[in-house]
Amino acid sequence: MAEEIHAEMVANVLRVEVAEGETVDRDATLVLLESMKMEIPVITEVGGVVARVAVNAGDVVRRGDLIAVVE
Amino acid sequence: MTALAAPAGLQNADRETDPRDPEARLARLLDADSVVPLHPRDSSGALAARGRINGAKVLAFCTDATIMGGAMGVEGCRHIVEAIDTAVRERVPVVGLWHSGGARLAEGVEALDAVGQVFAAMTRASGRVPQISVVLGPAAGGAAYGPALTDLVIMAPAGRVFVTGPDVVRSVTGERIDMEGLGGPEAHGRRSGVAHVVADDEPDACARARRLTTLFARPGVFDLHAVRDDVEDLRAMLPESPRRAYDVRPLVRRVLDRDGAGSSFEELQPRWAPNIVVGLGQLAGRTVGVIANNPLRMGGCLDSASAEKASRFVRMCDAFGVPMLVLADVPGYLPGVDQEWDGVVRRGAKLLHAFAEATVPRVTLVTRKAYGGAYVAMNARCLGATAVFAWPEAEIAVMGAKAAVGILHRRELAAAPEEEREALRERLAEEHERIAGGVGRAMAIGVVDEVIDPAHTRYRLAEALAAAPAGRGAHGNIPL
Repeated sequence: MAEEIHAEMVANVLRVEVAEGETVDRDATLVLLESMKMEIPVITEVGGVVARVAVNAGDVVRRGDLIAVVE
Repeated sequence: MTALAAPAGLQNADRETDPRDPEARLARLLDADSVVPLHPRDSSGALAARGRINGAKVLAFCTDATIMGGAMGVEGCRHIVEAIDTAVRERVPVVGLWHSGGARLAEGVEALDAVGQVFAAMTRASGRVPQISVVLGPAAGGAAYGPALTDLVIMAPAGRVFVTGPDVVRSVTGERIDMEGLGGPEAHGRRSGVAHVVADDEPDACARARRLTTLFARPGVFDLHAVRDDVEDLRAMLPESPRRAYDVRPLVRRVLDRDGAGSSFEELQPRWAPNIVVGLGQLAGRTVGVIANNPLRMGGCLDSASAEKASRFVRMCDAFGVPMLVLADVPGYLPGVDQEWDGVVRRGAKLLHAFAEATVPRVTLVTRKAYGGAYVAMNARCLGATAVFAWPEAEIAVMGAKAAVGILHRRELAAAPEEEREALRERLAEEHERIAGGVGRAMAIGVVDEVIDPAHTRYRLAEALAAAPAGRGAHGNIPL
């Protein structure tokens, strides 16, 4: 089952912390965002394999944008 | 359906094994051998009873899903109203177990009228006695608003809450969705916020209802001796960088008392508007409500949904005399067109109103920062906080010092040579913090009472709440 992870708010992508194909645990940080002068980790609520990372460092994401897919 | 068609003898045999049987369900909720029905068992579609939860008196009712899917008729609604009115008279909590398709079609408008009388009884009881709903199966149409009018809604996996079912939705709007997708625990736990607690199974739903009821029914008293020697640097639970987000829930659990192996914290609506954390637990042996920004989600910003979530919780605590503990670490309100159009002004105003009207003791601890309008909204001194504490190096300001300097000294910064600009910004920020921000200034003007040693956090919070005169708001708990 694929879990899509979307941005909760407008933010800059500071760092991508996982690569496609990587296995991650539940609560792992996938991407680090910067918004409201805070560094905000995007975590996965499910463990699995990162099927897709839809953002790159330096991108701006808007609320609802796809960040990653974990299967 | 089958129960109606079955011969009487078989129906009785079914009753003993049918997991939907209301007597069996009430027996699961209430202490062993404590169930005393308010009326003889009948075909009304509801069963009301007295009983106890961990020894505390409660009233309870259960819709009878073995008869017409628990549909609500005149007689059944009368039993429910009696349970609620009795609870108010005797000042004890009332717990409702729901599994009902809504009003009985065969009884027509009379059934609608009766269901409306249940709503009126719930509203009369609102803010006077805790009302807890456990949704075990479908709670459709009129039965959806029953739980929604109460203080807390617990959903079992088979719970389905909706006003109009999938068939009607499809015929009117063309949207195709099943009952679970429309009104299951995921829909109401994550999207609508209707469910305060999503349980693992039916026994877990009853266990959670028992724990929450007990927090209200046996609130305990502050025992400062229990926390006096409890010394632990809780600030070590925060990340080193002040910019780094973290999950506030482990901190909340640690601030509250342990309960057996875990914490006494019962989080409410954990997956809806998760940028604010609300829930009940115990501090120094006394039931308290906790409201905490969660920097892990959206940086801990307040927004439209989180303000509304917190408002209702604050009003519930105030209505039942539950002292409140506010952990503030908030960068501000979330900016955005969708926020403004979604009514962040209207919903944010609810939170200001909820705190400002609260008469129950309520103490705020600023752990890292509190900026702007969100600072005020998190139970600031100006809203009548009982006490406002801060941990060392906490910052209270209209905005972060660097951002403020960028606005206040825009021209000066622009005029400076590029190689000197950053140094100038740093110097101006330091100066700004000294005169306008920082916890020192906040103490000087009296909006922070004291910077407390993080190692004594539990004791200082309990002491401040215990010292304040007990209060209780004289208002209902409208489902905001």
